[in-house]
Amino acid sequence: MFLIRVFLVSLFAYLFFGYLCIPFTIQGMSMEPTYPDGGVNFCWRLRYLFSEPKRPDVVAVRFAGSRVMLLKRVVAREGEQVEFRDGKLFIDGREIEESYVRFPCHWNLVSRRVEKGCVYVVGDNRSMPIENHHLGQTSKIRVMGGPLW
Amino acid sequence: MVKVRYLLMGVLILIIGIALSLAVFPSEEKRVKKRFYLLSEWVSKSPEENSFAMLKKMKEIGTLFLEPCELKAPHDSLSGSYTRQEISAYAGSARSHFSQLDFKLYDLQIAFPEKEVADVTLTARLTGKSTSGEQIDEIRELECLLKKIDRKWFFSKVEVIEVLRK
Repeated sequence: MFLIRVFLVSLFAYLFFGYLCIPFTIQGMSMEPTYPDGGVNFCWRLRYLFSEPKRPDVVAVRFAGSRVMLLKRVVAREGEQVEFRDGKLFIDGREIEESYVRFPCHWNLVSRRVEKGCVYVVGDNRSMPIENHHLGQTSKIRVMGGPLW
Repeated sequence: MVKVRYLLMGVLILIIGIALSLAVFPSEEKRVKKRFYLLSEWVSKSPEENSFAMLKKMKEIGTLFLEPCELKAPHDSLSGSYTRQEISAYAGSARSHFSQLDFKLYDLQIAFPEKEVADVTLTARLTGKSTSGEQIDEIRELECLLKKIDRKWFFSKVEVIEVLRK
């Protein structure tokens, strides 16, 4: 009986933490100060089961699998026009207030439309040159979920 | 209680049997994975690496690729068909800019679309320190095509998949 209980608990933990609520460590400063380097969190896979990622959700974007993911903020949805002017975000020509961006930013990015089935993601830390920051549009299929907190 | 003990022993023997057979007769998937582990080992660089080891690794990297091999990484200024020598030279030149490199591979998904052809998708992460002391941390999703020739797998195409497009 004890062995069966151990087996069931192990199976549940494996499925829950392996597929539904994936633990991860934040490596890098791209989401500072919201998510500091070295922080621990969980990727909740069911976040977008009945909804779509929208501004200003923080999402986990996968590469080939779930072992390495990018933690980014959604700034634009499909069909929207995204642009940066002297560090300020413009969506469809309207300036967007971003309270989560705390560091000085002077990015410039010419206007571009987000393709169908994609979202545009950017990190909160925009103090580095735009060339050194991972940002851009990604397929919604790559959005694994969102952090638990 | 006795029955449970026999059942557990049976399961244990079965697991040991499967593990032994997998170790003695590696599957094609394992053989393909081994090529990636070799690539990871040879691309990585320790701060103590001497020039003899560097040359040896440089040469060995080339042996993993088919001649010619197609490389598609437009953002890393690589696009087209390359010979083994060219790949070795490129790898050697790239490694010389770093005092330490760690090349790790994650989430390998291996499919065999045809006989003696393997299609592998994976995440590659390169971390390290440049000779000028700058820290690097680059992640790419790769799609690789490998072909089996004379019972050995060789990279015939490596393509960087764009995850975020500015």
